[in-house]
Amino acid sequence: MKAVRILGLLAIFVLLAILPRWIDNEYYVHQVVLIAIYAVLLFGLDIVVGYTGEVSLAHAGLFGIGAYAAGILNWKMGWPFYLAIPSSIFVTAAFGLLLALPALRVTGPYLAMVTLAFGTIAEILINEMDFLTNGPLGITIKKPALFGFILEEQHYYYVVVIVFLVAMLLVNRILKSHLGRAFEALRGSPVAADCMGVSVYRYKVFAFAISAGLAGLAGGMFTFNELYIAPNTFNFELTVLFLLALIMGGRKTRLGPVLGAAIVVLLPNVLNDIELFRYLAHIIAVGVALFVIRHVISGKRTFKPLVIPVVGAAALEWSAHKLQEMTDWRITIFGFLILFVVYYLQEGIIGWIRNVIGHYRPQWVGRALAIDKAGEGQVWAAPDHAVKKDGALLEARQILMQFGGLKALNQVDLAVTRGSIHGLIGPNGSGKSTMMNVLTGIYTPTEGSVVFNGSTISGDTPSAIALQGMARTFQNLQLFGEMTALENVLVGLHHTYKSNLADVMLNTPRYRREEAAARMRAASILRFVGLEAFMNEEARNLPYGRQRLLEIGRALGLNPALLLLDEPAAGLTSPEIKDLIEIIRKIREHGITVILIEHHMDVVMGISDVVSVLDFGQKISEGKPAAVQSDPKVIEAYLGGQAST
Amino acid sequence: MLEIHDLKAAYGQVQVLHGISLNVPQGQVVTLIGSNGAGKTTTMRAVSGMLKPSAGRIMLGSKDITGLPAHRIAKIGLAHSPEGRRVFPTQSVRDNLLLGAFTRLTLGGKRPRGDIQGDLEKALDLFPRLRERQHQLAGTLSGGEQQMLAMARALMLKPEVLLLDEPSMGLAPILVDEVFHIIGRLKEQGITMLLVEQFAAAALGVADYGYVMENGRIAVHGPATQLRNDPKVQAAYLGGSASH
Amino acid sequence: MDILMQLLMSGIALGMIYAVIAFGYQSTFATSGTLNFGQGEALMLGAMVGLSINGDVLGGPYTNYWLMIPLVLLFGALQGVVVEFIAVRPAIKSKSEFGWIMSTIALGIIFRNVAENIWGRDDMPFPSPLPTAPIHILDANVLPMELMVVVGALLMMLLVELFNRRSIYGKAVVATSSDRDAAGLMGINTGLVITFSYALSSMSAAFAGVLIAPITLTGASMGAVLGLKAFAVAIIGGLTSGLGVIVGGILLGIAETTTGFYLSTGYKDVPGLVLLLLVLAIKPSGLFGKTTIKKV
Repeated sequence: MKAVRILGLLAIFVLLAILPRWIDNEYYVHQVVLIAIYAVLLFGLDIVVGYTGEVSLAHAGLFGIGAYAAGILNWKMGWPFYLAIPSSIFVTAAFGLLLALPALRVTGPYLAMVTLAFGTIAEILINEMDFLTNGPLGITIKKPALFGFILEEQHYYYVVVIVFLVAMLLVNRILKSHLGRAFEALRGSPVAADCMGVSVYRYKVFAFAISAGLAGLAGGMFTFNELYIAPNTFNFELTVLFLLALIMGGRKTRLGPVLGAAIVVLLPNVLNDIELFRYLAHIIAVGVALFVIRHVISGKRTFKPLVIPVVGAAALEWSAHKLQEMTDWRITIFGFLILFVVYYLQEGIIGWIRNVIGHYRPQWVGRALAIDKAGEGQVWAAPDHAVKKDGALLEARQILMQFGGLKALNQVDLAVTRGSIHGLIGPNGSGKSTMMNVLTGIYTPTEGSVVFNGSTISGDTPSAIALQGMARTFQNLQLFGEMTALENVLVGLHHTYKSNLADVMLNTPRYRREEAAARMRAASILRFVGLEAFMNEEARNLPYGRQRLLEIGRALGLNPALLLLDEPAAGLTSPEIKDLIEIIRKIREHGITVILIEHHMDVVMGISDVVSVLDFGQKISEGKPAAVQSDPKVIEAYLGGQAST
Repeated sequence: MLEIHDLKAAYGQVQVLHGISLNVPQGQVVTLIGSNGAGKTTTMRAVSGMLKPSAGRIMLGSKDITGLPAHRIAKIGLAHSPEGRRVFPTQSVRDNLLLGAFTRLTLGGKRPRGDIQGDLEKALDLFPRLRERQHQLAGTLSGGEQQMLAMARALMLKPEVLLLDEPSMGLAPILVDEVFHIIGRLKEQGITMLLVEQFAAAALGVADYGYVMENGRIAVHGPATQLRNDPKVQAAYLGGSASH
Repeated sequence: MDILMQLLMSGIALGMIYAVIAFGYQSTFATSGTLNFGQGEALMLGAMVGLSINGDVLGGPYTNYWLMIPLVLLFGALQGVVVEFIAVRPAIKSKSEFGWIMSTIALGIIFRNVAENIWGRDDMPFPSPLPTAPIHILDANVLPMELMVVVGALLMMLLVELFNRRSIYGKAVVATSSDRDAAGLMGINTGLVITFSYALSSMSAAFAGVLIAPITLTGASMGAVLGLKAFAVAIIGGLTSGLGVIVGGILLGIAETTTGFYLSTGYKDVPGLVLLLLVLAIKPSGLFGKTTIKKV
């Protein structure tokens, strides 16, 4: 397998090396260079769109900032391309940081609008600040030169191709590392990422900065390829074009951006050739006809799914015959392509190919990570949290949590003894989950304080609290769905990495050591919770009960002193509950304190050392399980209007 | 009146109901009890069309309502007072009640129109606390008042069957008593009801027949008086009787 | 003549138009939690269709200004139904936020491109139905058209508000906005309500297009920035707060006319966009919206 890869890479290198001679046409070489430049930008766009799951409409603007940074440095200050292009990386990354500020507060459609506003402002400012940018007239620069040697198109081709290959390698390394997993975790569940010590704040900023840096790099190279830049190049259409290229090629892959870039650069050529376009329309019409015939033969009675393909193909045929030239309808076609990809090709072309291959040869496309089998059984790391031996591990004092007029928690005290299993029960809406969220820092209590392991943590961010040794699971599962079970646990182990971005990009021994150790431990943890067989399965595909166990495994990766389990038995079958009880017992045996919220009374009462009962946001009882169970107040809270019957 | 045969339902990949069969005869109150996560609310949601069942059959009278969207099931005559009350907070109590009669007020509504103003008055008589607050926004009501509004709103449909999901949830004990008192009065009026409750004792006190759910299945069922003395029923709501 | 007063007056007129467009965003967001990223294009199409009916660009004029308005409103409503049907409904069904964002963007650029091919790429003047001589109000020159804009915008929002409060169908729309599932239980066809909200949204955008066209110029690219600035207004006003958009619109309108006067008209779009960035970075629920509690 490895030999095949090396041979494949070698073939690509040779192909890229001889390409300009082979094509031997300045225009087409120029197009290939443009594909490589767009691909570099798309690698960056993929970090934001594919990994963190946000829609960025700012990338044409960022591309423009990069292009103008290089252009101005060259035109006004006379900087050579090998200084100007790296500078545009930094300038654009700085703008990316600016863009990340609102991104920290909002997501989804709001963020999409923010990025759109950012891109529009960039376009306006480039247009208006003519003292710097020469306004709508644009900037014309000379061909790049290296030590007096003028680089012609085919020379510059090699510069761009080398940068492209290096960018691909580095981006690939980043995204396959713990940093890439952190980005992906943001998409899966920001709350869970925070509670695993992966600061949403930090990694969102990071993702935007890297993404913008790549856009800047692409912009800089673009300037020296085109030799003329004007503001209206970097408009909304270009942004939409980038998004189309990325989702059509395939998100979360390196090949997808290359393919997508090739499509959007070359498609206009196809559209210019009306004969070719008509030919394509016929092929599509035949394809749709075959699809319809198959549908009818298979005897399905629902014709609804046929309507859109048939109407679409008919409209395409009609327009192919009606129109004499397509150039003016370019954007419309891009628009329809987006609709097509969004509804019929969600994984993009590369994703679709992978799915087809995966259907026949699953092992070829899986996300299996290599694991060194030598160090098995390392579930428990040496306790590296400075855990004191005496007193309560966790003390919540007079917690008041108010939402508007509602007091979800009203002056609750909670003390959890080291090494114990502390049950927390109460009817629905009594404040248990609110308590959990206060303890882990998702809510800041209105009044009162939480002291964990000797220091006050109320007011800290969830990720800071997590890194002090508090891990949790979620009542409504918050797994990173598109990541494998192993990768989920690896996010929990994020705190074990000391490597930084440079380590990852250079693949230093330190990073390799840490990665190997983390994978080994993640595999051991999965074995401990009984998920060894599901190691390389995507979390969302696991059975429900297994997903609950995976959440516990992921929390163990944090190496916690205190583990909070929020209804771990909900939805589990009886044998699964037995396994769960066994796992919780073992966790306690290894010195980890447990807080257990649970509705299955046999679970709580069977394994808890102390049980607290909440009702209407107040603690109404506390003590040994047997004592709590016979407390009349508890019976009243659970039975309710018993007196009336 | 309401018959459910072998109902199965899932949230995404997670199967929650593994084949529920139950029967609510005309004019009777049937209760569905069981521990949290047993699937009681899911059953209700599948019946009223908030969730599409994956298999099984639901009959309302002579009509098959399996898999229909919620608004069409409402038109056929099923009212559902959902878990968590779900009143319309930005609208007045009166408007909430009128919306309950939406299927009677509108052209495509299909439910017999009848005397809407009269029914509105009757509902306010049944819940005097709502009469005092009829022009207030529903969002400003207390939890107990919202629960009453949710029940009154469901009644405005003049339903063939009324589903009540956890009417006591989050209420202070004194209000729980009041809610059950009202359920008793509705029963006297001959309204067919399916009642989901976590307070099993109270629910069995008012119901004619009961079903106990465990892990998405019906574990026990029988006349309410019989279930009240059944040790298995104790296990369903306070749990643990098997383990200690 | 007091120049500040003048700027204030034109600012209010402009702001009311923003409020109308922003109102369209609110309407769809309330019922379905989705937004039309092609709202600006809905506005542009409204203006273009209005111009074609009332002007001579496509062999017209076919009818007078006052009859043109209901026709444009009807066109806007139909366009909204198309957007909802193609771009939003399938995405709501598959619960894909990415889906509706991308597909409304795609429809937006398609509409713009189609408009370019029908009406050309150049801006055209839109005939004003009222005399162009300004009237003096409070030391300021106010164009009759500007006055009509304010009255028309207020009238439209008032009508919608009356519909929501008085009719059972309007109440059903409000109910769908506050709780879609519960509204379904009442027998309200919430899918239809969402379609209706898109019709209303595009209709208000088309109306705004006709109102703004005589003040600015009419062209295929007129909608893009307007749509974005109206989103800023919707955010400042709070996507859930009805009256907020009027205040937000007027704020932005005045900010723009003053920037345009004191700085340069080239920068006049900047304050709105910067305001959008700031509000979202500091108080995403808007000045009038309520903060929601995140549930875990």
